[in-house]
Amino acid sequence: MSPSISLTINGEARAVALDDPRVTLLDLLRERLDLPGTKKGCDRGQCGACTVLVDGRRVNSCLTLAATLDGAEITTIEGLALGEELHPVQAAFIENDAFQCGYCTPGQIMSAVGLISEGSAGDDPERIREGMSGNICRCAAYHGITIAVQEATRNMIRTDKEDAA
Amino acid sequence: MTLHRPESLDEALSLLGGGAVVLAGGTDVYPGLRDGPPPSRMVDLTRVAGLRGISLRDGLWRIGAATTWTDVLRAELPACFAGLKGAAREVGSVQIQNTGTVAGNICNASPAADGVPALMALDAQVEVAGPEGPRRVALEQFIRGPRNVDLRPSEIVSAVLVPEATGQGAFRKLGARKYLVISIAMVAAVVEVSGNAISRARVSVGSCSPVAVRLRGLEEALTGATVAEVPGIVAGADLPGLTPIDDVRASAAYRREAVRTLIARTITDAMEVRDVT
Ligand SMILES: Cc1cc2nc3c(=O)[nH]c(=O)nc-3n(C[C@H](O)[C@H](O)[C@H](O)COP(=O)(O)OP(=O)(O)OC[C@H]3O[C@@H](n4cnc5c(N)ncnc54)[C@H](O)[C@@H]3O)c2cc1C
Ligand code: FES
Ligand code: FES
Repeated sequence: MSPSISLTINGEARAVALDDPRVTLLDLLRERLDLPGTKKGCDRGQCGACTVLVDGRRVNSCLTLAATLDGAEITTIEGLALGEELHPVQAAFIENDAFQCGYCTPGQIMSAVGLISEGSAGDDPERIREGMSGNICRCAAYHGITIAVQEATRNMIRTDKEDAA
Repeated sequence: MTLHRPESLDEALSLLGGGAVVLAGGTDVYPGLRDGPPPSRMVDLTRVAGLRGISLRDGLWRIGAATTWTDVLRAELPACFAGLKGAAREVGSVQIQNTGTVAGNICNASPAADGVPALMALDAQVEVAGPEGPRRVALEQFIRGPRNVDLRPSEIVSAVLVPEATGQGAFRKLGARKYLVISIAMVAAVVEVSGNAISRARVSVGSCSPVAVRLRGLEEALTGATVAEVPGIVAGADLPGLTPIDDVRASAAYRREAVRTLIARTITDAMEVRDVT
C-alpha cells in the first residue's frame, strides 16, 4: 500500500505519496523534498539535530513517521527567514557565536523557536538550559547558545510589545 | 507493513491481533523499528476520539492513553500529582515529552520508566479495553516484569486512572547528568502531613528492581515522623523490595547507597512543598 498524505511545509501545501509507511519525517524532508537543512545525528531521538515544528510543537523528526502527519503543518529551518531577513533566533545565534561546526545548529534554532513560543523559560538561563537539553552540541557551544536564546527571547518580546503598541 | 490510523476505539480494537503493533507517541517503538523486520501492521492510537486528555469523574482522575507528558505538565492538577509532573518534566527532552505518552511509558515497562514510580505512589490503576469490554487492573499488577505487561494481543490500555487524594507529591531522579538521561534510580512520594508530622506516606522507587516497587514497610515506619526524623528512619529501614543490579549506568552498591538519600530527600521535598512546575 502506498499512502498519500498532504502536508503544509514552510507555508506551502504539498501532496506526498509514501512508498514505505516507515519513512520518517526526517528522511522525507532530506531525501524526497529537497530540504536538507534538517540534520540527522543519531536517528533515535537522542541528539535533537532533526528538530522541526509540527503544528507549532517541537519534535524529533527522526522519531516521527511521515504517514502519521496527514494534514499537519511543518516548519523547518528553511522556513524561518523572511526572504533575506533572518528570524530573530537565527540572528541571535550569529551575533553570539552560538555554534562552531554548525551541524547541530538548525536543530538548536528550531528547538529555541519552540521553547520561546512555549513561553515557560523566559530569559532565565537555567530554564533555557533545561528547555534546550534535548539538543546536544558536539562542539559544546552551549554557552553561546544559552546567551543567544536569552537575547532572542528578549528581542521577540520587545517586538511583540512594539507591534501591540 | 500497513499503518492504520483509526478514529474510534472500536475501530482500533478491530485492527488488533495478528502481530499488530500499537503506536502512541512512538518514542519507544520507532528506535526499535530500525533494528528488526517491520511488523505486519501498526495501529496508531493518536487519532482515536476521546483518548487524549485528563479529566476528573466520580473521584477518579482519568489520563487518556494518548495523553502526552507535555499535556500532563500543562494540566491543572492537585498537589498530589506534583510527583507525576516532576517525572513528566524529566522524561527525555521537551521534544520527547511533546509526543511520548504516559500510557506508552507504562506499556513499554522499562525498569527505568520514570512515570511508573510516580503513578505507583498515586495508587494508579490501568483501564484496559478489549473485545470483552473494559477491565481495570492495579498498575502494580499490570507490570509483571521488564517489557512484560498484563495485556492480551486483542487489548489496549485506554486510560490510566488515579483516585482523588490529598497530600503533596514529589519526584527525584538520579542520573549521570542533569537532563536527557536514563535514571540510575528515581523516587516518587505522596505525603500527607498533619501538624508537623506525616500522617500517611506513599513511596515508590524505580530502577532498583525489575519493576518499580512501593516501599510499604517504610511507609508505615514514616507515619508520625517529622521532617527532622525522616533521614534517620530511611537510613535504618529494611528495604527488601529493592534488589538493584550492576549495569552500564551504575553499580548495585552505588544504587543501594544513593537510593536512601534520594528517598529521604524526596519525602522531605513533599513535606516542604517544593514547587515542581
Ligand atoms: C531519546 C529518548 C529519551 C528517553 N528518555 C526517557 C526518560 O528519561 N524516562 C523515561 O521513562 N522514558 C524515556 N524514554 C522512553 C519513552 O520516551 C517513554 O517511555 C514514553 O513515555 C513512551 O511513550 P510513547 O507514547 O512514545 O510510546 P510508544 O513508543 O508509542 O509505545 C511504547 C510501547 O507501549 C505500547 N503502547 C503504547 N500505547 C499503548 C496503549 N494505549 N495500549 C497498549 N499498548 C500501548 C507500544 O506498542 C510499545 O510497545 C526516552 C526515549 C527516547 C527516544
Ligand atoms: S537525529 Fe533525531 S534526535 Fe538525533
Ligand atoms: S556546533 Fe558543532 S555540534 Fe554544535
